[in-house]
Amino acid sequence: MSDLYAVDVEGVSKSFGAVTALDDVTLRVKRGEIYGLLGPNGAGKTTLIRLLVGLVESRAGSVSVLGKRMPDVDVLRHIGYMTQQAALYPGLSVEENVRFFAAINGVEDGVKEALEKVELYQRRGSVVSTLSGGMRQRCSLACAIVHRPQLLLLDEPTVGVDPQLRVQFWEDFRRMAESGTTIIVSSHVMDEAERCQRLGLIQYGKMLAEGTPGEIRSIAGSQNLEDAFLKLAGTGTRS
Amino acid sequence: MSGHRVAAITRRLLQQFRRDRRTLALLFVAPIVILALLGYLIRGSASVPSVGIVNEDQGPAGAAIAAALARSSGISTSAISAADGESKLKDGSLAAYIVFPSDFSQLAQSGTIAPEVHLEGSQPGTTAPVLQALQAAMVTLVAQIPGAGFHVQPQVSYLYGGQGFDTLDYFGAAFIGLIVFFLVFVVTIVSFLNERSQGTLERLMASPLRRGEIVLGYMLGFSVLALLQSVEVLVFSLAVLKVHNSGNVAVIFGIEALMAIAAVNLGIFLSMFARTEFQAVQFIPLVIVPQFLLSGILFSVSSEPKPLQALSDVLPLTYAVSGLRDVMLKGADLTWSSLQLDVGVVLAFVVVLIAAGTATLRRRIA
Repeated sequence: MSDLYAVDVEGVSKSFGAVTALDDVTLRVKRGEIYGLLGPNGAGKTTLIRLLVGLVESRAGSVSVLGKRMPDVDVLRHIGYMTQQAALYPGLSVEENVRFFAAINGVEDGVKEALEKVELYQRRGSVVSTLSGGMRQRCSLACAIVHRPQLLLLDEPTVGVDPQLRVQFWEDFRRMAESGTTIIVSSHVMDEAERCQRLGLIQYGKMLAEGTPGEIRSIAGSQNLEDAFLKLAGTGTRS
Repeated sequence: MSGHRVAAITRRLLQQFRRDRRTLALLFVAPIVILALLGYLIRGSASVPSVGIVNEDQGPAGAAIAAALARSSGISTSAISAADGESKLKDGSLAAYIVFPSDFSQLAQSGTIAPEVHLEGSQPGTTAPVLQALQAAMVTLVAQIPGAGFHVQPQVSYLYGGQGFDTLDYFGAAFIGLIVFFLVFVVTIVSFLNERSQGTLERLMASPLRRGEIVLGYMLGFSVLALLQSVEVLVFSLAVLKVHNSGNVAVIFGIEALMAIAAVNLGIFLSMFARTEFQAVQFIPLVIVPQFLLSGILFSVSSEPKPLQALSDVLPLTYAVSGLRDVMLKGADLTWSSLQLDVGVVLAFVVVLIAAGTATLRRRIA
């Protein structure tokens, strides 16, 4: 449980009724790392992310985030969480949404900076319900980063975002990671996976493989990640 | 127009309901529950208005009418002394008392039948049976006395209200409480449900916000709206509709404000049990209709069958209605023990609902 890791999850399991969402998963993410969680829908990616913010309780094992054993409400102010669905207040403007999430995290400034980062500063007065899906996604990201978190959890952040902006998102993620922010991003888009420093492949709640994109390719003996992923996923047993 | 396409829509609709058991239950169970409740409430009524009889008549006429009243099925009578009458009206143990003065028979011989009727007056439902029973009893007496040309002149007086009161005066007080409670409840349950369904509650729970902070923030926000609404309802009722008020407006507003805060917290609490707005709306008949029927707005709680009285006793609206009526019709202030009880119970409901809303917040999100 050293300070080296932003996230230190050891042997966690979680089931919802008869469905096993996580089965003895261990995950360690270093500070300043971009870690990609890959896996098909229903693999357990979202449950693992929710576990990190204390929305889900593990049946076994331990969860430490930023050096604190979870659940710990005070750690949450250093975490930015972008949910899969762009969870925003549709009746508020872009700026009002971002300002609200800044306030509940105890921050006053940073709203303009966050809006500029996602290129919504010009549209800051627009009411969210009038925005396109991609713009909502950008606004949602702004809400997750406005308090400059040390750990950023992104649950499929680029769904509905156009290719140009997606490239820019990743450029921003890289820059944030360089300045010390740890980023855990779930995805099933392989070209995004290539941009992560390390990857974890999840299926049926189990961590199938872990490593850099290059390591994953060589474990599977494949030329590209997509093939590697399909090959490794094929070895997972359906429970 | 294609029969197939119409049939497709019809079929889809019914298929949807098949998976929504809760809505089906509401459609088929709720009407039976509401009608049964109403039937039991009206037909099963255990008690009839209690009427005290003060017979000071030195002749036979007073006793004759008292005997006729005792046989009446619409009221129950008991003999009391003249001195007890007022205090028994005030403490609510009597709905009315009737005095036959010492010269009652004498006056009757000379053609004037003039009993004194003292009505409590704040419950419109109990005044009518008393007057009807007396009317019937006097008709019996008149039939026994030979001769014609009787003047039947009961001297009616009211402890509260009276001739100048119309139906709105009686119901206005109760409706002021009901309207605020109902509307605030609906607005809160739907907006809190939105918070869940649009995913923002998940975000709030993943932030450093404490549960208590969320509930308190919500409560304050909605309470601002609810209090403005209470002011509007009160001003309109008193200034435009001219609903009778014998009490202090600040006390009325205080009771309304407590009801509004109770409704906010009930909305937060019940939103935990609904997954969609559609389901939330279904709580309206379940929460509001029984309270409307059982809170004493239409039928006084004391005239309900005993098992329903027990139910009425645990509904917050019962106490708010009783408190508002005490203030507006009887001019009660906070020194009255009955009003202290009503306000205290409503306050206790508010505390319990805040605790319930806060306690269930985490469970549903996980």
